[in-house]
Amino acid sequence: MFQFLKDIVRKSSIHVCIINCGGCNGCDVELVALFSPRYDIEQYGIYIHNNPREADVLLVTGAVTEQWVDNIKRIYTKVPEPKIVACVGNCPISGDVFNQEGGTVHAPVSNFIPVAAEISGCPPRPSEILEAILTVAPNAIASRGREKE
Amino acid sequence: MILPIGPIHPGLKEPLRLKLKTKGEKVLNAEIDYGYVHRGIEKIMEGKPWQKCIYLAERICGICSYEHTQTFAETIEKISNVRAPLRAQFLRVITAELDRLQSHHLANSTYFKAMEHETLFMYMLSQREHIMDAIELLTGNRVNMGWNVVGGVRMDAKGTHLKQILEKLEAVEENHDRYVGIFENGPLVGLRSKKVGRMTKEEALKGRAVGPIGRASGLKHDLREIHHTYHDNFEFKPIWRKKGDNFARTMNRFDEIPQSIDLIRQAIENMPEGDIRTDVEIGSGYDEWRNEAPRGEVLYMIETNGNLIKHISVRTPSIMNIDSCAKYMLKDVATVSDAVATYATSDPCIACAERVAILDVDKGYKTYELFK
Repeated sequence: MFQFLKDIVRKSSIHVCIINCGGCNGCDVELVALFSPRYDIEQYGIYIHNNPREADVLLVTGAVTEQWVDNIKRIYTKVPEPKIVACVGNCPISGDVFNQEGGTVHAPVSNFIPVAAEISGCPPRPSEILEAILTVAPNAIASRGREKE
Repeated sequence: MILPIGPIHPGLKEPLRLKLKTKGEKVLNAEIDYGYVHRGIEKIMEGKPWQKCIYLAERICGICSYEHTQTFAETIEKISNVRAPLRAQFLRVITAELDRLQSHHLANSTYFKAMEHETLFMYMLSQREHIMDAIELLTGNRVNMGWNVVGGVRMDAKGTHLKQILEKLEAVEENHDRYVGIFENGPLVGLRSKKVGRMTKEEALKGRAVGPIGRASGLKHDLREIHHTYHDNFEFKPIWRKKGDNFARTMNRFDEIPQSIDLIRQAIENMPEGDIRTDVEIGSGYDEWRNEAPRGEVLYMIETNGNLIKHISVRTPSIMNIDSCAKYMLKDVATVSDAVATYATSDPCIACAERVAILDVDKGYKTYELFK
């Protein structure tokens, strides 16, 4: 019974932290667009507040730059269990255009932290990001929570 | 006491460290640490043909992505002594102004979020969605449009599309005055924003402030006045204010919204027929070009060797604006929460500002201090 209640709570209130580890900002702009009345991310119980210590979902944007190689691991350890990492955009998946000779990026993110979902696109549409969070996060967070207990 | 804010912080959307030197609640001065999003774009571009570089130029910054491609294309057109056909120039004006509209809405909404006015924050974002629709209708994409090429634009706009864009702009205009009224006449808004984060004209000149931030402090400087397309075909007057506080900066952006809508109307009314793209024989040589991005002047210095880019250097407006924000606006701000709001009005875009990181160990230079 207790477990059942915990599952419901975890599914219906998801706190999100955005980490821009060196992208062009485009994905972050689309994430800000999720606040707007048209997409209204808060009606699904998702709250974006950029505080890793309270987050359930880390949304990583950007190809990992030199400064973020260690910092992204540190931020990941600060997020309490159960947690999910989702990559938004092509940059954290492959490095996109920055992953060429001369660039100083260390993509992909999955080299540093475990990644649960990848949303491709440069940038992905807000509706795609929303759909991805909703498909992956609630069940995964609930089941991961059960594993840990 | 030194209060560090960021790089990951609820108040900031992008990674940057803001060090506030505080005495009690009062902020004495501020210092800014860059270096979190340096990707080495200029280095990647060297030795590549422009067809590959224009995508990289677009991804310097996601918010004003359009203006970067336009400036890049116009620099290479200047090196090759070509001009885009008039219809392409008009289409460029429409897209540039749409981009400016969405950027100003986003900048204002960020400020309203920073000063905890959630209602206006939501209103601004909902206005912005109309403009994003118009951009998507015209170019096929919402953020990184891939719309400019050297010698013109990639696609032609149909008459029905232009009509739909005008309808979207009408929807924006319908509520615009009411939202400006809420901001202008709200007593609590006034308390939070008037006489906060002031920057005088002299300070703006010293800090090299550009764009709406400079214009709000009295610098009558808008590169659209001297750009050949605007100069020859459009009626245009820069908007500027004197006071240089948070209120003036936000109002300056608000006032530029009807101006941009007017420019788009003029462009659609007088749209000439003809080609949208010319064949360009890329010349060799060095040249530079400036354009008015939503945040101010963006400068491209390119040296080409045939079709290949030999060397490129980009100066974006954010670097000057953030620097003058840290030096002059954040000096003697009354509270820490006002400091965060002031930082938000300077419309910071960190992804722009990270071009190169040069550090002269002997003299203690940092990159953004090289332009003094």
